[in-house]
Amino acid sequence: MKDQIMAPDTVAADIVVSGRGVGKTFADGSVVALKNADFGIKRGSFVSLVGPSGCGKSTLLRLVSGLIAPSSGAVTVHGTPVTGPRRDISMMFQKATLLEWRTALDNVLLPTEIAGTPTQADRNRAMDLLKLVGLGDFAFSFPAQLSGGMQQRVALARLLQTGADILLLDEPFGALDEFTRERLNTELMRIVAEVGATTLFVTHNISEAIFLADQVFVMTSRPGQVAKIVDVDLDRPRPLSIQTSPAFNALVADVRETLGAV
Amino acid sequence: MVAIQSPDAATGNATDAARQLRNRRIATHLGIFLAIVLSWEIASRAGWLDPLFYPRPSAILQSFWLIYVVNGNVWYHLGVTMSLVFAGFVGGSVLGIVLGSLVGLNGTLRRFLKPYVIVLEATPRIAVAPLLIAALGFGVTSKIAIIMLVCFFAPFINTLSGVMNVNQDKLELFRAMGASKWQILRKLVLPDAIPVIMAGERLALTAALSGALVAEFIQRDQGIGSLILVYTRNLNMASAFACIFTLTLLGFLIFRGMEVLDRTIAYWKHEEGRTRVSARRRKAMEGQS
Repeated sequence: MKDQIMAPDTVAADIVVSGRGVGKTFADGSVVALKNADFGIKRGSFVSLVGPSGCGKSTLLRLVSGLIAPSSGAVTVHGTPVTGPRRDISMMFQKATLLEWRTALDNVLLPTEIAGTPTQADRNRAMDLLKLVGLGDFAFSFPAQLSGGMQQRVALARLLQTGADILLLDEPFGALDEFTRERLNTELMRIVAEVGATTLFVTHNISEAIFLADQVFVMTSRPGQVAKIVDVDLDRPRPLSIQTSPAFNALVADVRETLGAV
Repeated sequence: MVAIQSPDAATGNATDAARQLRNRRIATHLGIFLAIVLSWEIASRAGWLDPLFYPRPSAILQSFWLIYVVNGNVWYHLGVTMSLVFAGFVGGSVLGIVLGSLVGLNGTLRRFLKPYVIVLEATPRIAVAPLLIAALGFGVTSKIAIIMLVCFFAPFINTLSGVMNVNQDKLELFRAMGASKWQILRKLVLPDAIPVIMAGERLALTAALSGALVAEFIQRDQGIGSLILVYTRNLNMASAFACIFTLTLLGFLIFRGMEVLDRTIAYWKHEEGRTRVSARRRKAMEGQS
């Protein structure tokens, strides 16, 4: 009943994350990290936030996650304003930040433990997720026994463990080498499509942003703002070779132009 | 015939070589040790060393036999000292860990206590020992208090810094998961601080043995410390040396015991510990499904 009363028109109902006039000012009020951002993200879509350092892309992600509160405007997720961390959102950082005293499996189970007592079903789910990210044989290994790429895979499994349908990724593979990053990006696309999650992905790599996304939010700095939203109409699944196609290059040129224009 | 060698033979040769190297090293160590003991013995017999203060190794060996087997009096004192060390170490370090956590987690408490912590850190703890005896009287209580005093500080400081220096990335992860303060403490802050706390415990245990001896030097009624005093006063240096070497062995055993404890508690810091817990976790998971 409540849903029916609250349900807006059908177009808006398809928007799961939205921001109206979202701004964030840090410190003594002189640092404007983000200014007046308006956006709406469709259910199941993949959005990349791209821009130079200090353009407020990480700030925007943290505002959506509820880790920080906006100075002006509001972020709405699933129809309710974000006031703090919530269970329908899951977040992943540039560093794997695994707990060294836990096995890979127990690290994946951590969000479930925070939410309550894990059941056998939760443990099986964690195990399945580790298999999904290709670490089935390393479920009982400790972080110190895993490479950097493997640690990020564990973090990816942990991100999915909560079953949250909104995933926030802050340069998740930025600290890895080029080859590992490309491989993990491809896997991320496959996995996200499989679980049907809505994804916000922060990066400063233009090609990566376009390759992964349905929509690219191009952000510029001083003050941080969403300068342009670029739609990526490339067929999925996308092979790595798509990055040399004319259509792809046109998109890269479009994003570059926006970034260079300011 | 010579050129082709099976892998087995190759590894066999390798282990043989390793064994030979090891045997040679052990032989060298034994040789050096015997040389030291022998020159000591000769120097003493030749009159280059005053046997009154530097007893012959043979005499020390005799004393070992005397105090451990013939008289057997050392056992009681050894037991007394060990109980003191144990009680004082546990009491002092538990107090240090608990107070360290409280002060580390409470910013206000930390601000007000900081000057006193600095003053206490600069004061040699053992200097307070006579005051403790005056306050608590002669007996076991004041002895344990002295050991607690010398054991308190390292775990306190290490727990304090361990709890305060929690990894900020991990903290943000826990916040993003919506973890409560209690969950952050139990699942992040305390486990994260364990290796640092264990390092403090190691220091405390070494201090505990010294603390016990000082306590027994001041109150010479029983324990290995008082036994050493009695023997030196009677110019029975050989027996005093036997007591000191006993303490050497004890110190070594305590140190090894602490290592075992460290590997059990901070298991993820050691390859062997990771392998052990990893196998245990695998077994637990397979048992449930």
